[in-house]
Amino acid sequence: MFWNNVKIALRNLRKNKVFALVNILGLALGLTIYVFGGLLVKYESTHDMFFENAPNTYTIGSIAAPDLDVGVDRFNATFTAVGPIIEAELQDVRKVARTVAAGYLLSVGDKSFYEGVNFSDTALLEIFDFTYIYGDATALQDPSGLVLTESSAIKYFGRTDVVNETITFDNEFDFHVTGVIEDVPLNSHFSSSVIADSGLGFIAPITGLNRMRDWDLAGNWRNLSIGNMTYVLLPESLDEQWLTTQIDAIYERAVPDEQKKVLAGLTVSPLQRANLAVWDMIGMPVIAVVSLLSFLVLLVACVNYTNLATAQSLGRSREVGMRKTMGASQMQLLAQFLIESLVIASLAMIVAIAALELVIPLFNNVANKSLTLDYLKTLPWLVLTTVLVGLIAGMYPAWLITRASPIDALRDLARKGKKGARMRAVMIGAQFAISAFMLAIVSIVFMQNEKVKESSYVFPRSEIYTMDRLFVEGIRDRLDTLKYELEAIPNVSTVSFSSQVPYEQNNSQRSVSLKPGDEAGQVNLHTMDMSPDFLKTYDIPLLAGRGLDRNISQDIEKEDSTTINVLINELAVTNLQFGTPNDAINQRFYRLDDDGNSTEYIVVGVVPTQNIVGLFNEVKPWMFAYDTSALRIGSIRIEGGNIMDTVEEIEAAWKRVVPEYPLQGRFLDEVFDDVYNILKYMNMALAGFAFIALALASVGLFGLAAFMAAQRTKEIGMRKVLGASTSQIARLLVWQFSMPVLWALAIALPAAYFASTTYLNFFAERIESPVLVLIVAGALAVTLAWSTVAGHAIRIARSNPIMALRYE
Amino acid sequence: MLKLHNMYKVYRTDEVETVALNGVNLEIAQGDFVAIMGPSGCGKSTLLNIIGMLDNPSDGDYFFFDENVAPYNESGRSHIRKQNIGFIFQSFNLIDELNVAENIELALLYHNMPASERKRRVADVMDRMGIAHRAGHMPGQLSGGQQQRVAVARAVVGDQPLILADEPTGNLDSVHGQEVMELLRSLNKEGTTIVMVTHSPSHADYAHRTVNLFDGHIVTENTRAA
Repeated sequence: MFWNNVKIALRNLRKNKVFALVNILGLALGLTIYVFGGLLVKYESTHDMFFENAPNTYTIGSIAAPDLDVGVDRFNATFTAVGPIIEAELQDVRKVARTVAAGYLLSVGDKSFYEGVNFSDTALLEIFDFTYIYGDATALQDPSGLVLTESSAIKYFGRTDVVNETITFDNEFDFHVTGVIEDVPLNSHFSSSVIADSGLGFIAPITGLNRMRDWDLAGNWRNLSIGNMTYVLLPESLDEQWLTTQIDAIYERAVPDEQKKVLAGLTVSPLQRANLAVWDMIGMPVIAVVSLLSFLVLLVACVNYTNLATAQSLGRSREVGMRKTMGASQMQLLAQFLIESLVIASLAMIVAIAALELVIPLFNNVANKSLTLDYLKTLPWLVLTTVLVGLIAGMYPAWLITRASPIDALRDLARKGKKGARMRAVMIGAQFAISAFMLAIVSIVFMQNEKVKESSYVFPRSEIYTMDRLFVEGIRDRLDTLKYELEAIPNVSTVSFSSQVPYEQNNSQRSVSLKPGDEAGQVNLHTMDMSPDFLKTYDIPLLAGRGLDRNISQDIEKEDSTTINVLINELAVTNLQFGTPNDAINQRFYRLDDDGNSTEYIVVGVVPTQNIVGLFNEVKPWMFAYDTSALRIGSIRIEGGNIMDTVEEIEAAWKRVVPEYPLQGRFLDEVFDDVYNILKYMNMALAGFAFIALALASVGLFGLAAFMAAQRTKEIGMRKVLGASTSQIARLLVWQFSMPVLWALAIALPAAYFASTTYLNFFAERIESPVLVLIVAGALAVTLAWSTVAGHAIRIARSNPIMALRYE
Repeated sequence: MLKLHNMYKVYRTDEVETVALNGVNLEIAQGDFVAIMGPSGCGKSTLLNIIGMLDNPSDGDYFFFDENVAPYNESGRSHIRKQNIGFIFQSFNLIDELNVAENIELALLYHNMPASERKRRVADVMDRMGIAHRAGHMPGQLSGGQQQRVAVARAVVGDQPLILADEPTGNLDSVHGQEVMELLRSLNKEGTTIVMVTHSPSHADYAHRTVNLFDGHIVTENTRAA
């Protein structure tokens, strides 16, 4: 009986090739997305599991207090002072290790590259069992030791047996190789594919940082960088709950009160989640969203299948009647139809797997991931998915067609009547609701991203070429020469230096007050140091006063300065209650340093409030000073000419002035893209989901329109005989589908509105009103639905009436 | 074999009530060949459907081998139906996706019968009906007469004692119609009870007895010498 049913299923597919193709491909598309989403979610949420200690390893994170004003709520990183406190206070933990990420110019002979180096406590190698090609877990005990990954070793030496070889940091400090490890697999938090330029290439002892920068081994409470990780390894007997309790207590007891203003708490998360930290940080449940969307796409595909299968199965009413007449029970017939549905689901799954085999390598290539479809491990899940999809999608049509009495079935009443019409309308509505929901969300996210992009054009970002790492001593001393040489290039208009450039997510703040030491009246100002030409480079106008001047000594901040001239922006004018920009000129405010010494700031100029950090951040009150020791990055304004030629000339000028360091340059556009790309790719992924859902819904609608038009052929014929025009008939058919689609919109659009506010809340500067966007998205969905149905309706309406009447 | 007592069938919609059978009393003995005749809409097919347990009566008793099946639900009727009744329809009702042999086998598929036994019976009946050479053909490849032969084969393959034929010659030309009637006669001679709805007086002549219906009543019954 089973094989008999399979045979009939296959013959039915052969007989209705178009229906079969639409059914199988639709379901296959849904399954491809669903399985891919599932694999991706699994991949992203099971990083680092190949480390033996992974189940007992935790990372310490921070909850940002509102005062921190950085636009994110939590980091999976904390101050470097926390690690040693945990080690000292919690005797029961097995190991604690910190890593501090820092960039250096690494050189071997004439090979030099800027690299990110992880400076770590020695315990890092005991927590993570890297695979050693040379050396072992003691490799960081030597203060000048260095562990390389296989690729780093090959990059510098062309081989891996490089123990005892020397690598020089910033042309000054020698480290010698004490270990070579295999490259860490891509599915590790050490190789995040979200944060640009991450990846584990070099591990140096944290004591090395002390040697080079006089870095305090006890850590500090000043710098909170997302590259600074703190790992804790617990014994088997202790768990996350225990560690959380202990860490909460440490927060209360050991974190200085001053720090509590910016650090609202410490968090504990399993190592497995470290990879998702970026998403946790910006507060977007990306993994949950991917799961939900891939499930919704599958749901649309299932509803699509159900709809088409229902329409199609009604054509088999006589067969059901005949089988019932022969004594088949409803259960037997249900089994028959469900087996058919399972056959289709299985075929769809085979197509989906073939598609995945093509898509996954492409995706891995583009996204730098190592996703695999491991058949052995995923087989139970794939089989279960196939069976569930087959049963759930096939249940309704099977039930509908088999429940008729034998005589009704033989008379084919089901096809002629309105059986299941309401259910079909509900399904069409559900499909369109999901698609319109996705379309609306995608539109809102798109518009918001466009707004972010548009706002960023306040700075001429494609005309500015930046040069990083100017703080290195060998470079800093030559900035004036560099500026002179660069400004001599024909298309370079100005060159300036600063502590940060727009769109960099740096966050340096000072608390100031109108009276020295007035803690109650403190105002936080974001601070940037810049050379006087910065305003000109970035086209920032002055609203009042003057710019900074290198010839006025009080304009230049020095280590021992007690009075410094500064610029502030309009928002700072407001926050400091200075009145108008003009009123603010020559006003003073003060800051107390850790030792109680007061610095006086005098406002010499006011600039407009611009969103310097940009992207999702709100505008902030800024203070601009000119501290030459803080200048880290250069901005070269290029106007006119061939940009690439100019960049070549910039590189040549750099080589003349600073031959021993390579230029680390890129356009300001790329700085912006560092973060913007995350938003952009997310929207592209969302758009992909929405497009597929909408395409599926349209295919379903088209199939159903064909079926329902056929069902009403006789009526259409009669109407034509009685004088109805083509447009009247077409309207009749289109209207039939409009109701469920309109209902769908009534549900989907408000839902999309609420869902999209979650995204919008993430941004300080939002699109005016998502309502208009929602209406446009809704109109688009309706137009699509109408045009899908209308084509069909017009064809039917134009046919010769006798053809329609003969149909019966 | 079967006895209908005071049988009513009423079709109700929101506004209209149609009485299809109006107190019908009918008895059919084993081995009978009964033709049911009457004008369109008189209730012939309704009567046949109720006899065939494809439909349930609104009121009245239906004794099938002395068992009152009138109150049975679909699953109860289905059980008796598949053991005892074979059907032949005007429109053949062959399943397009199945070939001739498979269409015939369909009647045995729900009988819990081993596949080898099913194949044997199908082969036998195809021989008897002279359609063995068409075993692999699909219904679409056969003429109307051949299709009805397949339908007859399907009706008899299960060795059911009663065959109900609803205008079995209605879609056939006179030559093929004649052939089908001869087939039914020979089946009856072998002991199968046959109840047939027909419009054709000449085909009714094949029956031992003709029941004339009018507006849901049996108006006359003529018996013919066998």
